[in-house]
Amino acid sequence: MTLERTEELALNLGPQHPSMHGVFRMIAHFDGEIITKIEPKIGYLHRGLEKLAESRTYAQFIPYTDRLDYLASPHNNMGYVQAVEKLAGIQVPERAEYLRVIFAELARIASHLVFIGSLALDMAGWTAWGYCFRDRERILDLFEMTAGSRLTVNAMRIGGFSQDVPDEFWPALKSFLDDLPEMLEEYQGIFYGNEIAMGRMKSVGILPKELAENFSTTGPVLRASGVKHDLRKDAPYGIYDRFDFEVPVLNGCDSYDRGLIRLLEIKESAKIIRQAMRDIPEGPIMAKVPKVLKPPVGEVYHAVENPKGELGFYLVSDGSTKPARCRIRSATFINLQLLPAISIGWKIQDVIAIFATLDAVLGEVDK
Amino acid sequence: MFGKGLFKGMHISLKRMLGPNVTEYYPEQKPTLSPRVRSSMGLDPDKCISCGICANTCPNKVIALTSEKDENNKKVLKTYHMDVGRCLFCGLCTEACPTNALTVTQQYENAVYDAEGLKWDMIKRHRQQTGKEG
Repeated sequence: MTLERTEELALNLGPQHPSMHGVFRMIAHFDGEIITKIEPKIGYLHRGLEKLAESRTYAQFIPYTDRLDYLASPHNNMGYVQAVEKLAGIQVPERAEYLRVIFAELARIASHLVFIGSLALDMAGWTAWGYCFRDRERILDLFEMTAGSRLTVNAMRIGGFSQDVPDEFWPALKSFLDDLPEMLEEYQGIFYGNEIAMGRMKSVGILPKELAENFSTTGPVLRASGVKHDLRKDAPYGIYDRFDFEVPVLNGCDSYDRGLIRLLEIKESAKIIRQAMRDIPEGPIMAKVPKVLKPPVGEVYHAVENPKGELGFYLVSDGSTKPARCRIRSATFINLQLLPAISIGWKIQDVIAIFATLDAVLGEVDK
Repeated sequence: MFGKGLFKGMHISLKRMLGPNVTEYYPEQKPTLSPRVRSSMGLDPDKCISCGICANTCPNKVIALTSEKDENNKKVLKTYHMDVGRCLFCGLCTEACPTNALTVTQQYENAVYDAEGLKWDMIKRHRQQTGKEG
């Protein structure tokens, strides 16, 4: 009897991913059920944001940064305005710094909730998705009552914060934080403790520590492979050095740990917000910034730890009102490169979960 | 024991299923939005001094306005158009307005059938909304 070889099968997935990641397409090659090669196709959401920055003034570009990683827009605002402040040498009032931290950490929780929800959804877990989105809504309400928008928050300004929080913000924030442990227990019970979810994620999509480091991976994906790297601790920006929090690190290197680490990070973010709530001083929220801002000639790189990893802005000033060059180092663009490397040898359903655990948001990938 | 997690999950779902509803029956029920919500723009032409700061602040060149001088050599607003198809709803224009003539409003039902409907004549809209016309 002769052994018959079958042909390799190429299957197109996307360009519409049926979830929250954005428009991503990949061509998967199979040998039977096993993936032999993955070709990611990106660029469907490309808007040329770096080029747009060159034709906008420094302040006018802030709303565009919302559209990078739209699940955590305060982080994008923060990275950009801090880069401009560094370039122009602007000192930010204390209250604005605290508000920035509160917004950034709330956005981290909101982004991780979308992550947990969409990871569950990618594995057909509709119920967990519903719960995560129900709870995320409360964070979006907090953004809405302060800055006037839910997703593209546009809350930060060069030299401070757009508007002070209304009176009803603090009780709503406190009640959210009080309810958070119960919510996390619910996600643990409905999703992370579920045997089907465990079976599909444990020991699947192994990302060894060396590979993660070689690919310049950052954020929770790297920390789930046993590397303790978090810019909030390693290169503190703003006032992050004042807060007491842990950086969760897991050593599983698999899809499950990449999923679980987000749950642990939510707890730490809540810790930071509580400390910020306790210490926030009264006072102004905007520094004195010239109406026509012309930073001195020079260049600056500033990076923040957004929910997906290191988000960096490299700005070059030629002394005019507009940046001469703006380069955005987006975390997920770099993390997404891992997909072809760690998917080989797994089945199609595993790859969907692996892709979800990389937490790519195509707004940031395509820019 | 295998299956314990599944039962726990089912228990949580069942508990939530019997709990109160969290969704809103839109459009029968409408949400009450905070006065800061940037769903739409409104202009009070009487307050506007035609300084054009809003148009200069806009990152996307949405606003176009014209003015003429009256007998006291004072600028008077003649036309004010917004091409909201290009609008980011960032609110920078309303922040820049020195007289608070341009403000954010909470009318979120802005969908139209054709692109022409996205070119707003702000003076006309103000008149319609205040009942002075139409």
